[in-house]
Amino acid sequence: MINVLFFGPVADRIGQREMRFEFSDGMTLHDVTHKIGMLHPGALSIVSFIAINQQQVRDKQLSLNDNDEIAFMAKFSGG
Amino acid sequence: MSEPVRIQQEDFSQDAEIAALKASSTRMGGIATFLGCARDFSEGRDVSEISFEAYGSMALAEMNKLRSEAISKFGLLDARIVHRVTTVKAGDNIVFIAAGAEHRAAAFDACRWMIDELKQRVPIWKKEITPQGDAWVTPHP
Repeated sequence: MINVLFFGPVADRIGQREMRFEFSDGMTLHDVTHKIGMLHPGALSIVSFIAINQQQVRDKQLSLNDNDEIAFMAKFSGG
Repeated sequence: MSEPVRIQQEDFSQDAEIAALKASSTRMGGIATFLGCARDFSEGRDVSEISFEAYGSMALAEMNKLRSEAISKFGLLDARIVHRVTTVKAGDNIVFIAAGAEHRAAAFDACRWMIDELKQRVPIWKKEITPQGDAWVTPHP
C-alpha cells in the first residue's frame, strides 16, 4: 500500500488529508502523481515539494516500494 | 531537561530555553535569540488568529538537522529551536531560536541562519484567519 499525505493548502484543494493506493511492482512517483491529477485536476499545481518517507525527492521517475509514505507539499510558511 | 528541538502546541518560556542552553557549557560567552510572534495585521488585512499545520515527523527531523548543521557550520556550543503548531492570537509566541557560542559573532550569524533556513526547509504552514476569511500564507523573505 502507498500512503499519500496532503497538508495545508494542498489538503484544502484535494479536500482530504490522506489517500491510499494499492502498490504494484514497478510503480513510480509519476504514476501516483498522475492518479491524483486525474482525481483532482489542477490540485497539485501549488505543490513545490514532494517527500518520500520524509526525504525530499525531485525525480518523478523514482520507483516506489510497498508501504512508502509520499507527501505533497506547498511552499512552507512556518516561523 | 526538555529536548533542544521541539514542536509543541503549548507556549514556551524564553527564560527556560536560555537557561537550558547556558547549562550546556560554561564556555558560552554569547547567546543570540530570535522570537517570532503573531501579528494582528498582514498584507493590508486585520488578522484575528493564525493557525499552524505541520508534517510533524519530517518537520522535527529537519529542525534537528538544522540545529546540527548550525552547530557545526558556526562552531556553536549549543542551539535550541522550538516551534508551536496550534492556533495563536496577536502577540502570542510562535517560534524561538537560540544560538550559544564562545563569542557574539557566531551566535548572531547562526541565529539568523537558522530562522532563514527554517522558513525554507521545515514543512510547516500558516493560515491567517481574518474577518474577510481564511488564507494560507504565501511565503515572503
